[in-house]
Amino acid sequence: MSVRIAMLLGCAALSTVAHAGTPQDLLQTWQTEARAQSPQFTGFSAERGRLLYFKQPADWSCSTCHTNDPRGAGRHAVTSKPIKALSPLANPARFSDPAKAEKWFTRNCKDVLKRECTAVEKGDLLTFLMSQSLHTPK
Amino acid sequence: MSDNVAARVRVWDLPTRVFHWSLALSFFGAYLLAESERVRHLHVMFGYTVLALIVFRLVWGFLGTRYARFSSFAFGPRAVLDHLKGLARRDVGEHAGHTPAGSWAIWLMLLLALVTGVSGYLYFNEIGGEAMEEVHEVAGNAWLLVVFVHVAGVIVSSLVERQNLARTMMTGYKRLSGAASSVRNVSIVGVLMLAGIALFWGATTLSGSTPALPSWGGTHPVVESPRLSSDHDSDDD
Repeated sequence: MSVRIAMLLGCAALSTVAHAGTPQDLLQTWQTEARAQSPQFTGFSAERGRLLYFKQPADWSCSTCHTNDPRGAGRHAVTSKPIKALSPLANPARFSDPAKAEKWFTRNCKDVLKRECTAVEKGDLLTFLMSQSLHTPK
Repeated sequence: MSDNVAARVRVWDLPTRVFHWSLALSFFGAYLLAESERVRHLHVMFGYTVLALIVFRLVWGFLGTRYARFSSFAFGPRAVLDHLKGLARRDVGEHAGHTPAGSWAIWLMLLLALVTGVSGYLYFNEIGGEAMEEVHEVAGNAWLLVVFVHVAGVIVSSLVERQNLARTMMTGYKRLSGAASSVRNVSIVGVLMLAGIALFWGATTLSGSTPALPSWGGTHPVVESPRLSSDHDSDDD
C-alpha cells in the first residue's frame, strides 16, 4: 500500500515538472483533432473564438470570471478570488502546459456550456486570445 | 468464531462516530464537487471541515475513550502481517477496536486527509506555487484508494466476525465475547461537533459564498479590469 502511495507521490513530483509547450503546439494538436473530426474544417477563427468567449448560454460566459478583457486579471464569480490573466500575451504561463490547458477547458466548458468543448472551439478560443493586440486598452 | 455468550459493548464513543461519518461525507462531497467552479464554495467548505475534523481527531487520539486512542491501535508490521495471515484462515481472534491491518488504513487516511486538506488550502490561497495543485489531486486520489481498501477490509472483517461493523460505527456497539467493557459515550462533545458542522454548512450554503475563514494575506483586493467597471459596461464591444 505505502509503496503504491510513494509511487503516486513520485509520479506527482515528476509531473509537476512542467511539460513545456507553447500555445502554437496546442493549436497544432487541436488542428489535427479538428481535421480528424470534421472534413469541412478549414482553420481556426479568432472571430468565432471571440463569440465563444462572450457566449452566455445560461448565467455564465468565459468573461464572467475572466472579464471582458482576457489580458487583465479576472475574478472568480463564486469565491471572488483574483484570477491571473487568461491571455498568454499577458501571462506566458497560460497554455504552456497541454495537460493543464485540457483540464481547465474540460472543467470550465462544463460550467459555462454544460458540455465539453470541441477541438475547433478550443482552437478558436486560443486563436482569439492570441489575435488581440499586446497593448491593454485604456 | 466463539459461540460464547456475547455482550453488546460500546466501543466507539459519539465523537469518534461523528468524526467518522462527517469525514466520510466531507470527503465524498469535496471529491464529487471538485471540478465545478459553480460549487467551489461547497468544495472549500468540505475541505475546511476535513481539516477541522482531523485536528479534532489528533486531540481525540490522546483524550478520547479507550479504542479511539492512538495507543490502542499502534500496531507494528509484525502484528499486521499476523492479522492478515489470520484473516486468510478466517481466524483473527477478537478485536474490540481497530484491527491491526485496519489500523494501517486509518493511519494512512489520517495522513492523506491532512495532506489533501492542507495542500487544498495552500492551493486555494495560491501559496506554494503550481505544485500544490498536483499534490492536492494526487493526495485526494490516493485517499480515495485507501477508502476503497478500508471499505473492503470492513466487509471482509464483517463476514469473518459475522457482524455488521459499519453498523458498529453508527451505533457504537459491537458484539464481544471477551471481557471488554463499554466506553463512555461522551455525548456532549459529539453533539457540539454536530452543532458546529450544521452551523458551518448551513451558513456556507445559505450565504452561497466561500467560508469566511482566515486566508493568508487577509481579504483579497478586488482586481477588476478597467473595462468591467460599472460605468463603462455599456461602451464595450
